[in-house]
Amino acid sequence: MKPDIPAVLAELAGLVARNAVPDVDPAERAGALSLSAALLGMAAEAWDGAAQRLVEENKALRALLSDAGDRAGRNAWLSQGIDDDLRVSVLAAANARLRSALIELHAAVEGDDAPDARALETRIWEELRLSTERRQMSAALA
Amino acid sequence: MASADLAPRLAAYAASRMPGARDVEVRDLSRISGGASRQTFRFRLTWTEAGAPRERRMILRRDPPASLIDTERRVEFEAYRAFFGSRVPVPEMIWLEEGTEALDLPFSVAEEITGFEAAPALLWTEPYLASHESLARNKWTILGEIARADPFALGLDRVMPPPDPVGCWARELDMWEQVLDEDQAEPLPITRAAIRWLRAHPPAPAQKIGVVHGDFRTGNFLYDRQGGIHGVLDWEMAHLGDPLEDLGWSLNPVWNFKRNLAGGLVPDAVAIAHWEAASGLKADPAAVHWWTLFNCVKGQAIWISSARAWIDGGNREPIMVLPAWGMQNPQDRAILKVMDRL
Repeated sequence: MKPDIPAVLAELAGLVARNAVPDVDPAERAGALSLSAALLGMAAEAWDGAAQRLVEENKALRALLSDAGDRAGRNAWLSQGIDDDLRVSVLAAANARLRSALIELHAAVEGDDAPDARALETRIWEELRLSTERRQMSAALA
Repeated sequence: MASADLAPRLAAYAASRMPGARDVEVRDLSRISGGASRQTFRFRLTWTEAGAPRERRMILRRDPPASLIDTERRVEFEAYRAFFGSRVPVPEMIWLEEGTEALDLPFSVAEEITGFEAAPALLWTEPYLASHESLARNKWTILGEIARADPFALGLDRVMPPPDPVGCWARELDMWEQVLDEDQAEPLPITRAAIRWLRAHPPAPAQKIGVVHGDFRTGNFLYDRQGGIHGVLDWEMAHLGDPLEDLGWSLNPVWNFKRNLAGGLVPDAVAIAHWEAASGLKADPAAVHWWTLFNCVKGQAIWISSARAWIDGGNREPIMVLPAWGMQNPQDRAILKVMDRL
């Protein structure tokens, strides 16, 4: 999630502290705290599964790039990566590289009628669908 | 600026715009939460005129340092003013101040329309449940009236550049893709796939160049218990273009509020029929599909840009994070749904 959760939590800490001062306008305080509560709820839900989601998704994307073979072009090397650093920021950076490669691969195969390109595009759409399921939150706004 | 400082400065400004008024005061100034693209306050303006005490409820909308939607405040102001008194209900615009001397930031002042609701969540509770069909008829009839309006007769072409009917889709797509290019904080494979599809399958030319509200959805109008609509708000993104663009935004699945109905109210076909009847235009299914998908991309660009404004430090208010966290995934799923990939 962007902005990153730790940065938002730090900002919310400051916001809550500012609203602890007695002379804050009640309407402003109510607005700030209700929004902060909603964001804290989202952060709490995302926190536990963040690393698992990224590891799972990175693995799926590497498998796609590996199976794409030469069609992965200059990004083929990304299929060889391993997530041995489980900090969310590191996993997210690897995920961003892999999803950039996925965009290039998708654009390359979607206009190609070859059977392997068709099969690859079907897998890409399935992975994109799964990526939205991994990111679903009960507190989503829509 | 704290509210205590804001009230007397606003009163001084009002007095300068009301030559016949004396003892001008701003009372009960309070901020309304939730405004992401403008800081919004309600207040009572009291004054004496010809010896008689007067009072009016008003809304102050002030530009924040960085907003969710970067818009020209004069465009918004003129859009409201163009429709005031028409079958498209809007609040009366009173003052537009583009300078920064009076309140440090540009602002506008409008009448407050009181006694009605705007929050979508209330619609799924009693006593509003029985009003959905009526509300939907009014909602898409008003949107049809906006589409029917002649922007040139209204003088809006003076503040909103009219596009070519053949190329207006490309102008809008180019603009929102550029927002994504500039503001994305991480790759967006679903949105990028949608953009490639949109460019490969352009819609038919616009039937007319009309006024596009730009954010016409459940949540951006004031409604009553019987389904009446008393004020269409949030014209920040108003422009001239294909009227189907507004219809597509109203059908963006993120505005279904998890109810699988247009605007959370009625099936898409019912909404489209009301719009066609009021606008006198045809909603070609292929074009409606194109504009609905386009509006999913536009929505994603808006959510992304709110994240960017927060990340860059231009606006650290929590309202900027809420759509970034709470809308990006639903918008991706909406894209998949519209592309029949969900």
